[in-house]
Amino acid sequence: MSWLRAALMALLLLTSVMVQLTVLPLLGLPGATPDVVAVTVIALGFVGGPIRGAVAGFAAGALLDLLPPADGLLGLTAVVLVVVGYLAGLLGQSERSPLAAVALTGMLAGGIVLGFALVGGVVADPRVSWERVPGLTLTQVAYAALLAPFVLPLVTWLWRKVDPPPPRYDMGRA
Amino acid sequence: MRDNRRTRTILGLLLLTSLTLVILNLRGSGEGARDTAGGFFGPVQTAISSVTRPVSDFFGSIGSLGSKDQQIADLQKQIDELQQQVNTTEFDRNRARELDDLLGLAGRGQYRTVPAQVVASGAAQGFAWTVTIDAGSKDGVKLDQNVVNGQGLVGRVIRVSQSTSVVALIVDATSTVGARVEASGEKGFLNGTGDPRSLELQLLDPFAPVRSGDRLVSFGFEGGVYVAGIPLGTVTDVRGTPGQLTRLATVVPFVDVTRLDLVGVIVEGPRTDPRDSVLPPKPTTTPSAAATPPAAGATPTAGATPSSSAS
Repeated sequence: MSWLRAALMALLLLTSVMVQLTVLPLLGLPGATPDVVAVTVIALGFVGGPIRGAVAGFAAGALLDLLPPADGLLGLTAVVLVVVGYLAGLLGQSERSPLAAVALTGMLAGGIVLGFALVGGVVADPRVSWERVPGLTLTQVAYAALLAPFVLPLVTWLWRKVDPPPPRYDMGRA
Repeated sequence: MRDNRRTRTILGLLLLTSLTLVILNLRGSGEGARDTAGGFFGPVQTAISSVTRPVSDFFGSIGSLGSKDQQIADLQKQIDELQQQVNTTEFDRNRARELDDLLGLAGRGQYRTVPAQVVASGAAQGFAWTVTIDAGSKDGVKLDQNVVNGQGLVGRVIRVSQSTSVVALIVDATSTVGARVEASGEKGFLNGTGDPRSLELQLLDPFAPVRSGDRLVSFGFEGGVYVAGIPLGTVTDVRGTPGQLTRLATVVPFVDVTRLDLVGVIVEGPRTDPRDSVLPPKPTTTPSAAATPPAAGATPTAGATPSSSAS
């Protein structure tokens, strides 16, 4: 991976994490907080493939786990986002129509809530309440599907702009 | 094939690393890393928030303009010119009103508070209800201090860095506050459930005469974390019959945690228990009434009321 792309990834993830923590909660929307970090990780998985998706997921998750006001189990978000970034890279290669990409983003983002509740449940996180999971999942899917039409093209455009893909490297059949 | 194996190796390594973090954190380490991150990123969040807060407050206030359709039509021509001005005055007015509320509550309870602004919040899908505020150890904030706003108890400080701190809100599932029922004096534990609009009161006395509509203040146990007399919430539902081993009641908090803005950290508690004097006068619209039907939330009085209908 070129340094420019690594820098772009870092910049996108840091920006999305900051927006997620400082701006989006102020909207006071019901249910989940619009998960721009998840959508960015999924977008990076789509354009970069499973490895970069997983790395992006780990970085974003570690940031969310470390930065204030994080107080859950350190590493929990990282676990879930690694899997989501990897799956986005794996599944994103066959999906080509924009609508399918938006739907896939919504589903993967919804999976984050379930994954979080599952892993949290396994390690007996006292905060995980299954009563809230359905509502959070539904709103999470809806907000992610709303964010996707803006975030996916932006990330794809920046990714191509920073470093046009070399023809010899086919990420899909690697 | 070779590349497939590489993918799996990297995925495995990343998963292993993050799971190791979880396990290390379960065993109690890793908090130092968070303190370091807080010292660095807290001020960054403060800076971002100071730019974005007026903008999002403006978008937040759009919802409450719906009832003023007629006025909007009359003023349509002026809006373009005054947009910026309206935006900032609205922001200033909100801020002034919140400061007023906060001062009022602090005055009634004789608390000494340090004002602070909420600059970041954790995502609801993370299940934790925590926020960053822009006051830290240099402002005199210490671990476990109580955080209030004009309506009542917001939470307590769980992590302090130099210029910011992290607050766990009362609705967080790990939060427990010693509570006392107004007037009757029945005691219990008020636990967070993770649901922003409902807390659970566990009554100590199974025969306690507690009814829907009763209001709660913090009890302030000897050696406990919370100071006495902070308004907590209103009982909306009592479950179980009198005499049952554990009687539970549902409580709606006075504070709307989804719309936190200006808060105060109580750096010095009252010398004597203020009893019920900090509670607002009784016959006003109770938060329980505002929480159920969306139409009831349209009163222009409290800052939290319009938003509670939205959540």
